[in-house]
Amino acid sequence: MSGTLLLQGLVLGLLAGGVYALMASGLTLYFGVMRVVMVAHPAFVFLAAYVTYFIHTATGVDPLLTAVVTAPAFFVVGMAVHRLMVSRLAPENMAMMSVLLTFALALLIEGGLGVAATGSFRSINVEYANSSYELLGVRWPYDKLIGLGIAALTFALLFAVLRATRFGQALRATIQHPTAAKLVGVNTERITAMGFGLGLATAAVAGAVISIIEPFFPASHWAYIGKLMAIIVVGGLGSVQGAVVAALGLGMIEGVLQVSANPTVAAMVFYGFLFLTLLVRPQGLMGGRLAERY
Amino acid sequence: MPNVIERGRGQKERLLKSQLAVRAFLMAGALALLVYPWLAPNSYLRYVGVAVMMYAALSTSWNLIGGFTGYVSLGHGAFFGLGAYGTGLGIVRWDLPHFVAFFAAAVGVFVFALVIGPAAVRVRGSSFVIVSIALVAMLSLVAQEWRGLTGGSLGLRVPPLAESLSRTENHLLFYNLFAVVLALALFTWWFIDRSRFGAGLKAIREDEDKAEALGVPTTAYKVAIYAISAGFTAFGGGLYAMWFRSLDPIFIFSIIIGVNMVLMALLGGVRHLFGPLLGALIIAPSAEYFLTQYGETQLHIVMSGAVLAVVVLFMPEGIIPAVKKLVARFQPQAASISELSQADMRHADDGPRDGPPDAVSATGSGKDEP
Repeated sequence: MSGTLLLQGLVLGLLAGGVYALMASGLTLYFGVMRVVMVAHPAFVFLAAYVTYFIHTATGVDPLLTAVVTAPAFFVVGMAVHRLMVSRLAPENMAMMSVLLTFALALLIEGGLGVAATGSFRSINVEYANSSYELLGVRWPYDKLIGLGIAALTFALLFAVLRATRFGQALRATIQHPTAAKLVGVNTERITAMGFGLGLATAAVAGAVISIIEPFFPASHWAYIGKLMAIIVVGGLGSVQGAVVAALGLGMIEGVLQVSANPTVAAMVFYGFLFLTLLVRPQGLMGGRLAERY
Repeated sequence: MPNVIERGRGQKERLLKSQLAVRAFLMAGALALLVYPWLAPNSYLRYVGVAVMMYAALSTSWNLIGGFTGYVSLGHGAFFGLGAYGTGLGIVRWDLPHFVAFFAAAVGVFVFALVIGPAAVRVRGSSFVIVSIALVAMLSLVAQEWRGLTGGSLGLRVPPLAESLSRTENHLLFYNLFAVVLALALFTWWFIDRSRFGAGLKAIREDEDKAEALGVPTTAYKVAIYAISAGFTAFGGGLYAMWFRSLDPIFIFSIIIGVNMVLMALLGGVRHLFGPLLGALIIAPSAEYFLTQYGETQLHIVMSGAVLAVVVLFMPEGIIPAVKKLVARFQPQAASISELSQADMRHADDGPRDGPPDAVSATGSGKDEP
C-alpha cells in the first residue's frame, strides 16, 4: 500500500465528505426546528437531481445553475410539507410518527420517480467535470472539487442568513426555546415552516451537485439514508458544526478504507461510529443535552 | 322517567351482548382463517394466504415491543433476516435437521438481541429509529459481503423440508406453521398485556422518566421485550427460509420488511391484540394485488407510501379504535353526569342505599358515594 494511494483515498474522502456535509445540513435544520428526523431528505436530493437532469436535457442549461430555480421551489415545497403534514402530527409522539411520515414521503418520491422516469440510470455529463487537477501527486477530480466548493458556499450563505438576518435570529430563537421565542413576538409557526423550507432548499442544491458527480436511479437514496443518519448522530443531533465535522471525518475514513480495504468495509464505518457514539457519548460530538433525549 | 338503576342494568346487558358479538366475530374469523387454505381455489391464492399469515405473525411479533413500549423499530427486518439465514445456513452448511436449525436460529437471535439490546434501547425516540435502520443496513452489508458463507447475491438455496411434499401441501403446511407462530405471539402479547411486566412496559410508553422514578426497571424491561420480540420475528424468518427456500441478502435484510410490520400494526391499532393481524389481512393481499396488477411499474411503492402517509396522518391510533368510536356513536349514549337532571340525581339519592353498588357507579355519579 503506497502512501500516494492512501493520500488519494483521503482526498476523495474529503471531497465526498463535503457533499455529505451539504446533505446533512438540511437534516440538522429539520431537527433543530421540529425535532424531526427527516428520512425523506436523500429522496428529495435525488428528486432534485432528476429535476436538474430533465431541465438540463430539455434546455441545455448548466446543471449547477438550475439550483437557482429548484432551490426556491423546494423552499415552497418544504413549507407545504410542514404545514400540511408534519405540523398535523400529535405532539406527544412526534418523534416516531414523523419518521414514519417522512419514510412514506421517501417511498412516494422513489415510486413516483420510478413511474415517471423509469428505473434506469441517469447521469449528466458536463465537460468541466470530466478532468482532474494534480496536486501533491494525487488527482483532485473537478466535479468533486466543485461539489465541495458549492457545499462551502451553501454553508457560508446559511451561516450569513442565520447570523445576520432578522429571520435567522428568529429561527435560532425558535430552535433554542420555542415558547420564549413566541413570548417575544416571534411567529414560531411561520418560522418553523420556513426553517423546513430552508432545509429542503439545501436538498435542491445537493441534488444539483449529485447530478454531475454520480449516476443515479430512483432507489439511490437508500445508500445515503444510513450514512446521513450516522453523520447527524455522531455530530450530535441538531448541531450544524458537529454534522460538518462528522461528515468530513467519516468521509475521509471511508475514502481511506475504500482504497485500502473494500467498499463494504468502508460503508460499515458509518454504522460502526454510530453505535460507538451511542455507547460512549450518546449526545454526539457537539450535541447538547437535547440530543440525548430524542 | 326511567329509573337510574334500571338504566344501569340495561347498559350492562348491552355491554354483555356486544362482548358476545365480538367473541362470536373473533371465533368466526379464526375459523375462516383456519379453513382458508383448503378453500382457496388456486395455488396463487394459497401462496397469498401464506404471505398474509407470515406478515400477521411478524407484525404481531413487532407489536410486542412497538405496542407496549412505543419504541418504533423500523429494523425488525434484521431479526427476520438473521432467523432466515440462521435456519438456512444451519441446514445447508452444518447439515442440521430443519427444525433443529430453526430453533437454534431463533434462540441465537434472542441471545443476539439480549446482547445488543442494552446499546439499542439506550436511546429513545428518533435515535432509536435511526439505530434500528442502521442495524438492518449493516447486516445487509455483512450478508452481501460474506459470500463464502451466505452465497452473497447468488443467493442461498435451502433444501425442502421433505422431497415428497407437493406444492399445495407445502403451502398448506407453512400456512399452519405460520399460524402456530402467530398464535404463540398473540398469546404472549395477551399474557404480557395483563401482567406486571406489561404494566411496566406501558408506563415506559407513557412517560419513561416517571416510570423510572417510580421504580420500574426500565432498561431490563426494554431489553427483555426487545429480545422476546426479536425471537418471535426470527421464528417468522426461519419459517420463511424453509418455505421460500431461496434467500437473497438484499431482499431478506430489507428495511421494507420492517416497514411493512410497522405499517400493518399501525393500521390495525398498536394498542390492540388483533391490530397487527387486521393490518396484515388488509395490507398483505393489497400489496400482492398491486404487485400482480402493476408489477412492471413502481406504482406499488407509491401505494405503500400513500397508505403509510394516510395512516400516520389520519388514523395513527389504527382501525380498531376508530371502529370502536364509530360503534359507540351509533349506540345509545352512555349515561354521564351531564345527562342527569337534578331530579334524577335527587331520585338516585333517595333510593335504597344498599342497592346494587354498580347501579350507581354505572351512572357516573359513583364519586358521590361516601
